[in-house]
Amino acid sequence: MNIPNVNHYIHAYKIAPWRVQRQWIGNALLAVVALAMVSTLYLDVTSQAAIAGREIQDLTASIIVSQQLSGDLQTHLASLTSASVMQQRALELGFRPMESEEAEYLVVPGYVVLEPDILSSAPLPQLSALTFPPEYNQSLLDWMDNKITSSSSRGTQ
Amino acid sequence: MRQQYARRAQVLTFVMGLIALAIVVQMTRIQNSAEAAVFRQQASNYAYELRTFYPDRGEIYDRNGHLLAGNKSVYELGVDLNTVRDPHAIAFALSSELGENYDRIMDTIINPPDGLSYIVVADYVESSQALKLQELKKALQEQAPEGTLGGLTGLQFKSHPQRSYPEYSLGSNIIGFVNREGKGYFGVEEKYDTLLAGNPVQVLVPTDPNKAFEIPRVPNGTTLVLTINRDLQSAAEDILDRSLIEYGAQGGTIVIMDPRNGELLAMAVTPRMDLNEFWNYGSIYDNASDFNPAISMPYEPGSVIKILTMAAALDSGTVVPETTYLDTGSILVGGATIQNWDQEPWGVQDMTGCLQHSLNVCMATLSTQMGAGSFYSYMDNFGLGQLTGVDLAGEAPGRLKIPGDADWYPVDLGTNSFGQGMTATPMQVMMAASSIANHGRVVTPHALYAMMRDGRQYNVPAQFAGTPISQQTADILSGMLAVSLESEGSLALVPGYRVAGKTGTAQIPVNGFYDSTQTNASFIGWGPIDDPRFMIYVWLERPSSSIWGSETAAPVFAEMAQKTVILMDIPPDYIRQQLVAK
Repeated sequence: MNIPNVNHYIHAYKIAPWRVQRQWIGNALLAVVALAMVSTLYLDVTSQAAIAGREIQDLTASIIVSQQLSGDLQTHLASLTSASVMQQRALELGFRPMESEEAEYLVVPGYVVLEPDILSSAPLPQLSALTFPPEYNQSLLDWMDNKITSSSSRGTQ
Repeated sequence: MRQQYARRAQVLTFVMGLIALAIVVQMTRIQNSAEAAVFRQQASNYAYELRTFYPDRGEIYDRNGHLLAGNKSVYELGVDLNTVRDPHAIAFALSSELGENYDRIMDTIINPPDGLSYIVVADYVESSQALKLQELKKALQEQAPEGTLGGLTGLQFKSHPQRSYPEYSLGSNIIGFVNREGKGYFGVEEKYDTLLAGNPVQVLVPTDPNKAFEIPRVPNGTTLVLTINRDLQSAAEDILDRSLIEYGAQGGTIVIMDPRNGELLAMAVTPRMDLNEFWNYGSIYDNASDFNPAISMPYEPGSVIKILTMAAALDSGTVVPETTYLDTGSILVGGATIQNWDQEPWGVQDMTGCLQHSLNVCMATLSTQMGAGSFYSYMDNFGLGQLTGVDLAGEAPGRLKIPGDADWYPVDLGTNSFGQGMTATPMQVMMAASSIANHGRVVTPHALYAMMRDGRQYNVPAQFAGTPISQQTADILSGMLAVSLESEGSLALVPGYRVAGKTGTAQIPVNGFYDSTQTNASFIGWGPIDDPRFMIYVWLERPSSSIWGSETAAPVFAEMAQKTVILMDIPPDYIRQQLVAK
C-alpha cells in the first residue's frame, strides 16, 4: 500500500468544495431542527398550560355550582322538616301532643343527658396554595425575559 | 455560466439578508418606541381586573341543629340585546312562566336605555322556574331549523344566592331578615350582620383565560347556633296565638329563658312575619318596636315588679318574711293616696301575704321604709332602666325615674314599688328576676349558643351582671313566692312541679289617666324552684275576657310551663328527688 497516496486523498477530500457546502447545509439544518424542537416543546407546554388553565376554571365553576346546589338542597330539606310540616305530618299519621301527666320517666344507669348538637363541619379544603411559583404562569418568553432582565439588573449593580 | 449564477445568488442572498435585517431593526425600533410604551401601558391596564369574591352568608341554626336561616340560589334573567332574535318569544315565555307583564318585557327589550347591551328583565327567580325556562330555551334551539337560532336566544340566566328561612315566620322576631342588598335587619341577622356576612376578598385576576391565577380562599360567613329550641319556640307561638283568641288580647309575648345561664329558649311575640317575604314588613308593623316587643317595647309591668321590691326589702333588712303590718287599704306617699287593687283594707298581713294578695299598700310601705336612696339603688342593681345587653338588635332600655330627674316626684317612690310610673321590657324584668331564681346572681340574657368558623366551634359562655341580693334572700323569696301561689290556688300552678311566680295587672295610661278597663296582664314564674331550669314571662296586652293577670296570664304560664317540662325532659319534682336520694 502506498501511504503518501492515501494522505493525498484525505487532503483532497478535506478541501473538496462540495464537502464545505455540505457542512454549511448540515449546520443550517441542525439549527432549523433545533429551532423546530424548541418551538414544538414551547407549543406543547403552552397548550398544556392553556388546557390546565381551562380545567381550573371549569373545576372552580363546578365547585361553586356544587356549593350552591348543596345550599339549595340543605334549605329544601330544612323546609321539608320544618316544625309546622312535621307537626302536620305527625297529626296526619295519628299522633297527638303528649300531656305532661302521660310522661313516664325511667332511670337508666349510665345515661348522660345529651348536650345540644354540635354542628361542626369538616374544615374546608384549601382551594389554593398561598402563592403560585412563577413556573405555573410564565411562558418561555416570559422566563427568558425575566432571566435577561435579572442578569442585566445584576450587571448594573 | 456557473460563476454568473453564483454571483446572482450572492446578490440575492445579500438583498434578502438586508431586508431581513431591516425587518428586525424595524421590529426592534417599534418595540422600543415611545408609542410602544403607551400601548404596553394600555394593554397592562386591561391585563388584569379587580374581582371581588363575596362569601356565602353564614347559616343560623337552633340549639338542636335545625336550620333557621340558610341560603338558596335564585336567578337573574337578562337579555343580551346583541344576540336576541325573538323578543315576542322571550316576553311570552316569561309572562307565562313567571307571571310577568308581557307588555313590560316587550317594551324593555324593544326600547332599552341607550348604550346598554344587556338588560335585566326579572330577578330573584326561583331555581325551579329558571330550570323550566332553561329547558324551554334548549328545546326551542333543538327544534329550530338547521343553521337558525332558537326563539329564546339572547335570554341569559345568572344565579346568585338569596337568604332563605325554611321555618317561615317561626321565631321571626329573634332571627330578623336580610334584604336584597344583603344587609341584616332586626334580631340576630342585624346584631351579628358583620359576622354572618363574612369578609369579601378582592383579587387581581388576569383577563387572559389561559393564565393561571390564584384562586382566593373566601371563608364563608360565620355560622351561628342559637340557644333557641325550635320545638319550644313553636309551642310558645301556638300557645300565645290561642291565648290571644281565648282572652281577647290585642297582642302578647311569651319569653322562656334558662335562669341559670341566661340562654333564651323561646321568645314568641305577635305579630310575626314570614321572613321569606320581608318586603311585607311595612304592612305588618307600624313601628320598629313592634317587631320584637319582648326587647323593644317598654311598658308599665305592674305587680310583677313587686318581687323586686320585696327582694330589696328583704335583702336590706327592712323586713323579714314574718314581719307583719296592718293594711288599711291606703297609704299617703308624696301627697298622693295609694290604694290596693281592690281598694279594700286587708288587715294584718305578713310579707308572704303581701305577695299572695298583691297589695300595693304593702309595697309602697316597704319602699318608703327603705327610702328612695336604698330602693332605687336596688332597682338600679337589678338593671331596671338599663339595656340588658341581650344580643338581639333593637333593644330599648325602658325608663326608671330616679330622684333628681326633672320628672321624678315623691309619689313615684310608692308607685314604682308595684310597677307603675316606670317602664320596662319583659326582657329587663326577666333579667332582674333571674337574680331571685339564680341564687342572687343576675344573668345576662343571650340568644347565641355558639359560633362556627373554619370548622371550629366557639361556645358562648354565660355572663353574669352582678349580685344585687344575697343567695339567702333569693332562696327565701323563691319559697315565699311558691307558697303565695299555692296558698291562693293560683291558675299558674303546674301539677308535679313546684314553681314560683307573680302576676301583674297594670292599668294602661290613656290620655294621661289610667284606664281601669284596659290593662297589661303579666306573669313571671320559674321552676322547679329547687333547681330552676326555666323562667317564663307572659305578657298579654289589653285582654278583654278579664283584666286580671291572675285570670289570663297565669293560666298561660301554666300551659307553657307544662309544655316546657315535656320538651326539655324535666321530670316531676318527686322523681328528681328520688334520683337525688339515690
